[in-house]
This record gives sequence, C-alpha cells and structure tokens, in this order.
Amino acid sequence: MPEPEEGRGAAEHAPPRATATGPGRVLIAVYGIFALSATARAGVQIAGRFSEAPVAYLLSALAGLVYILATFALAGQGPGARRLAWAAVGFEMVGVLVVGTITAFVPGEFGPDDTVWSVYGRGYGFIPLILPMIGLWWLRRTRGR
Amino acid sequence: MFDALVIVTLVASGALAVFGLVETARGRPPGKPLAYAVYVAVGLLVVQAAIAAVRVFGGVQVPEPTTFLIYLLVSVCVLPIALQWANADPNRWGGAIVAAGAVGVAVAVLRLQGMWAVTGA
Repeated sequence: MPEPEEGRGAAEHAPPRATATGPGRVLIAVYGIFALSATARAGVQIAGRFSEAPVAYLLSALAGLVYILATFALAGQGPGARRLAWAAVGFEMVGVLVVGTITAFVPGEFGPDDTVWSVYGRGYGFIPLILPMIGLWWLRRTRGR
Repeated sequence: MFDALVIVTLVASGALAVFGLVETARGRPPGKPLAYAVYVAVGLLVVQAAIAAVRVFGGVQVPEPTTFLIYLLVSVCVLPIALQWANADPNRWGGAIVAAGAVGVAVAVLRLQGMWAVTGA
C-alpha cells in the first residue's frame, strides 16, 4: 500500500525497506550458502546412515529447512515474507542457543555426529550463532515505523 | 585432486574474497574485472572437480563418496550463483557477496582435501 507522497514530514511513518537491498543481499548470500550446505549434509546423513544418530540428523535437516525458509523469506518482499523471515530467523536463534547449550554441557547428547548448531556452531566458525543475530538486527533495522 | 591444484584453488578463492571485499570497501559496483576473476576461479574449480570425480569413479576410496561428490558440485556452483546474485542489483555490496561465496568455496575445498587425505591417493 503506497502512502500518498505529499511532504517529507512522513518520517514517523516510513514504509519498511525491502530486506533484499544493500548489505541485506550479502546476508541472504550467506544464508543461501548455509541452506545449501546444511541441507546437503542432512540429506546425505539421513539417506546413508540414519540409524546411527537419528536425532542429530533430524536436527540437521530441521536446521537446513530453517535456513532455506530464511533465505527465501529475506529475499522476498511484502509483509508475508517479512513475517516468515522473523519466524525463521527467530527459530534459528532459539535453535542454535538451545542445541548449542545442550551440546556444550552434555557432549554426545545428539549422537556421534555434530549438527550445524552443536556447541553454538563451533564446526562452522560460530557463524550459525552470529548469523541469526545479524538477521534479527537487519529485520528490525529495515522495518517501517 | 592433487595437492598443487588444491593450493591453487585455495589461493584463487582467497584472492577473490579479498578482491570482492576491496571493491565493497571502495564503494564500487561489481564490474568486469570481478566477473573475470570469478571465471578464472570457477575454471580452476571445474578442472579440480573433473580430476577428482574421474579418480573417485576410477576407484579411489574416499570415506563418503556421496558427500564428496556433492561438495565437488557445490565448489563449482556457488561462485556463478553468487556472481548472478551480485549482478542482479549492482551496487557496492556485490563484491562482498562474491567474497562470501569465495569463502564458502574455500571451506568446501578444505573439507574435500580432508576427505581426500585419508585415501592416501
């Protein structure tokens, strides 16, 4: 819904900025890379040796799905995409904190194979921990008032 | 895979990452030089993937052949997609997008090298 374009005094009603602009596009690229690698990894784990560590592999698949949703939602436009992005990135933040904490204090809880979120994403340079923080910040930064 | 090519692809993706970040820092939209740098890196990665795939199908026993082949595919595909995404909205952030792809590729090559190392081939 475009606001009528009269006067610049509408600053307190600024429309949301699309998330797929400027530095947001770099964020989406990183999300895309994680979507690709997490999903591919989970696919191989589940197809090849599911019984070895079913919980860890299902968690990997869930993480991959969340990254895919976040990638497309952040790249999309409109309030629906923005809501989905909040949900996906928020879930990702909670997921990495919960799985990260459990795996940090109870090693081996999820089976022998690490998930993307194990120990706050240690196997991936802690990017899985930093990424949702930046994602949430970017969603907040680009929302309208 | 063989060691010389692993080093060459790692250096190429590292240099590409630096190049991309410099372009972003200088506020320049992705131009021809960045595109050519991507083509060179992808060309090297294609050669590496072809050699490695031929050797795996020729009987070299990597620990997880499916994962290995997927990583090979990823190492080749990421940079062209990143360049496409950077050029779709050409502004200063295009270089950083390519840099992100280049870092991802470098990580993939390191994982590949790790899997290859156990074969002793």
